[in-house]
Amino acid sequence: MVQYLIKRILIFIPTLLVISLLAFGLSKIAPGDPVEMKLRGFGPDQQNPANAERVYRETADFLGLDKPVFYIGLSPAAYPDTLYNILRRDHRENLSKLVAQYGAWPPISDYYHRLLRMNYVLQEVGRQEQGNAFRSIRSALQQLFLAHADSRITSLLEEAETLALQDSSLQAALLPPIRELKSSYQAIKDQARPGLLYLPDIKWYGLDNQYHNWLMGFLQLDFGISYYDSRPVADKMKDALFWTILINGMAILVAYLLSIPLGVFSAVWKDSFFDRSTTLTLFILYSLPSFWIGTMLLVFFTTPEYGMDWFPSIGLGNLPPEAPFWSRFWERASHMGLPVFCLAYGALAFISRQMRGGMLNVIGQDYIRTAWAKGLSGRAVIWRHAFRNALFPIITLFANIFPAVFAGSVAIEVIFNIPGMGKLTIDAILQRDWPVVYTVLMLSAILTMAGILIADVLYAWADPRVSYSRNKS
Amino acid sequence: MLIGVKKEKDTAEAIARRQAMGESYWGIVRRQFRKKRLAVWSLRLLYGLIFIALTADFMANERPLYCKIDGQVYFPVFKQYAVALGLSTWEAQFFQKGWREHEYETVIWAPIPYSATTIDRKNNNYRAPGGEQDVESTRFRHWLGTDQLGRDVAAGMISGTRIAMLVGVVSMSIAALIGVFFGALAGYFGDDRFRASRIRVALNILGFLASIFYGFTARSYAFSEGTFSVELLKSLGIIAAIMVAANLLAGFLKRFPVLGRPVTLPLDLMVMRLIEVISSIPGLLLVLSILAVIEQPSILYVMAIIGLIRWTGIARFIRAELLRIRSLEYIEAAQALGFSEWRIIFRHAIPNALTPVLITIAFGVASAILLEAFLSFLSVGVPPEQVTWGSLLRLARSQASAWWLAIFPGFAIFLTVTIFNLLGEGLTDALDPRLRS
Repeated sequence: MVQYLIKRILIFIPTLLVISLLAFGLSKIAPGDPVEMKLRGFGPDQQNPANAERVYRETADFLGLDKPVFYIGLSPAAYPDTLYNILRRDHRENLSKLVAQYGAWPPISDYYHRLLRMNYVLQEVGRQEQGNAFRSIRSALQQLFLAHADSRITSLLEEAETLALQDSSLQAALLPPIRELKSSYQAIKDQARPGLLYLPDIKWYGLDNQYHNWLMGFLQLDFGISYYDSRPVADKMKDALFWTILINGMAILVAYLLSIPLGVFSAVWKDSFFDRSTTLTLFILYSLPSFWIGTMLLVFFTTPEYGMDWFPSIGLGNLPPEAPFWSRFWERASHMGLPVFCLAYGALAFISRQMRGGMLNVIGQDYIRTAWAKGLSGRAVIWRHAFRNALFPIITLFANIFPAVFAGSVAIEVIFNIPGMGKLTIDAILQRDWPVVYTVLMLSAILTMAGILIADVLYAWADPRVSYSRNKS
Repeated sequence: MLIGVKKEKDTAEAIARRQAMGESYWGIVRRQFRKKRLAVWSLRLLYGLIFIALTADFMANERPLYCKIDGQVYFPVFKQYAVALGLSTWEAQFFQKGWREHEYETVIWAPIPYSATTIDRKNNNYRAPGGEQDVESTRFRHWLGTDQLGRDVAAGMISGTRIAMLVGVVSMSIAALIGVFFGALAGYFGDDRFRASRIRVALNILGFLASIFYGFTARSYAFSEGTFSVELLKSLGIIAAIMVAANLLAGFLKRFPVLGRPVTLPLDLMVMRLIEVISSIPGLLLVLSILAVIEQPSILYVMAIIGLIRWTGIARFIRAELLRIRSLEYIEAAQALGFSEWRIIFRHAIPNALTPVLITIAFGVASAILLEAFLSFLSVGVPPEQVTWGSLLRLARSQASAWWLAIFPGFAIFLTVTIFNLLGEGLTDALDPRLRS
């Protein structure tokens, strides 16, 4: 058994690695620049390139995004291994598109640095000059940062050059650097080495990379900081987890309390009217999608449209903490009635079906017939002899149901606007708040695996006939 | 496969005939299946849904099925297919005016004369099915009401049927392909039967790495510039070429004794570990995060992703069946006859293992449809202009008085999911040898 446990726990490791790689990989392909997202609203002085660059660099450093992405990188030999040093995601992607066309990094790097220097030149000139010609030149040169097609770059450079030639006041200051830029772009084309694009090159970045830092932090239970509102992820999750556990716990409790007697009695009175009607009802309940039922309840029972405004509308109520305990309690409870019902009915149907099946198996056994034969009362036979033996599989179900209910509460929390884990996850995914997404994915994978493991262990513990050691099977 | 239910009399005769000559396996299964009334009814309803899905363009369309303008005869609904395929173009007059504004000499409209995306400006802002509607005649009523923009809900329901069926069929086909392949590998070869020469194993690993590099890494620029599907096909072609080359080379090099020494690969162990890893990934959250990343949402991605994570059940079933089948006599006979392993797997072993997979597929279709409805309910991964059951249901949340938006699409989801669940249960019973009498 111990051996089996160790083996199972060892399988956790590759699984978690796969999930962490998936989540991390997704966050890197995802469009959008987290640094830009964070800077939005701060509005660094875009007119001052040095200042903008410093703010950008500091933010990237704060988020840990100035490190290489992964331990190793596989890319064509044309790409430099220091590309990650270019912090701006849009610039970096544009440069790698240039590399993908011409295959030679040194002239491209030279061209990029000239472009950056151009920014400073433009700022210098811009102190005295704010004419139309200057603005057009500046916008053309700024667009070069995001241009990678040959025709586009050439036309932008031509445009800047002609404008600078026409304006005598700008000519002296701007024409030489524009010419230099042009010749450095020509150098990219002259020194192209497309052969390098087909030569694989494995680059080693060492341990100080984004993935390693995140994973080590996760293992020390440091989940990082949300990109969206800069709160620690652990704090955000603590609040959300409270509500999710509360409503899921209540739902599972209700489901168990109702489903066990239902299952037992429909098995005892098999083929009776009671059995048939409960079986049919439970089957229908089981097939009803909870997000439909949630929407229906929301539409019919929380709005005055249909004269059935019996429940308060979405959310959790907003009585201040100074309000008397009982009125706060009642407020919360009335808000949670519908969500708990939506979460409970599916589990209820599932557990009763299992309970009925388990009871039917037990009732057919010889020892039950013996119990009847020796004249025990019906209650004793059913509850003491049959029920106890049928109960074990139901207990183990708990471990399987919890992750399922956890996932199911995404729909319910979104519909009823409950600030739980499900809502947190959906919001984080839609806002591309990756630290939260990573953590939720990892934690729910751990929960799922632990659930399955606990179910297996409980099953073996409850039923001595089940054995996981190899020599017996 | 399962053939529709005929008249009782026919069946009785057929069964009698079959029993006289020794009934076939499928015959028994069919007879067993017909005993479950609910399962039979769900099969009939399923035919109905498939019919709606196939003829959706003819059932709800803003274009007339047939019309005559100025002596010219047109079949706009048929023409729509030709235009979509690039074989034809619309006449200028059809661009200039809406479909309802022409002077028709004769015209036959589709049963529901609206497409799912048609916006009826005169009937916007949630017109109730029984309420007052500003339409020319009863023929043009919105029988299931409209949404805020004035789109017909009945047409949306029909387009939703097509999407739901498509999602179920395509995603489960992908899942079945992957699942059958991996399950068969694991079950037929087990941990001890797969032997390959050292050089073949090494070259395949190298080929795999090279495929990733030349198929994707080196082509990332082509992917960002070109059309995704075209570039993907090219990449797959490159990968196939590399793998074929690696295996041809291996076939040549294995003549050298050092390179040709066989190694045993524990395929079963590898596949089972893979299945364990995939089934402990929180599927819903993963699907949500993948779909949220995709910049141009399409229902195709939804189907592909559902297929890619839902194959493990099928693989488990096939593996279990093949573990049993591989030691049967007819497989040994085939091996003794010198057939290649692949031929035995695909022509002799898998066909006999497919039956129980139908059960998993039936339940799988149900859960795929449910997942797609949920995704479009959250408006994740499905393009905003696509009308599906889930997206209609979502509209109900913003307007509580529009009860028709809450009831009809939700009921369609429920009905379809139940049909597939009942079919799955019916099949389970029909295929269970213990229940056969």
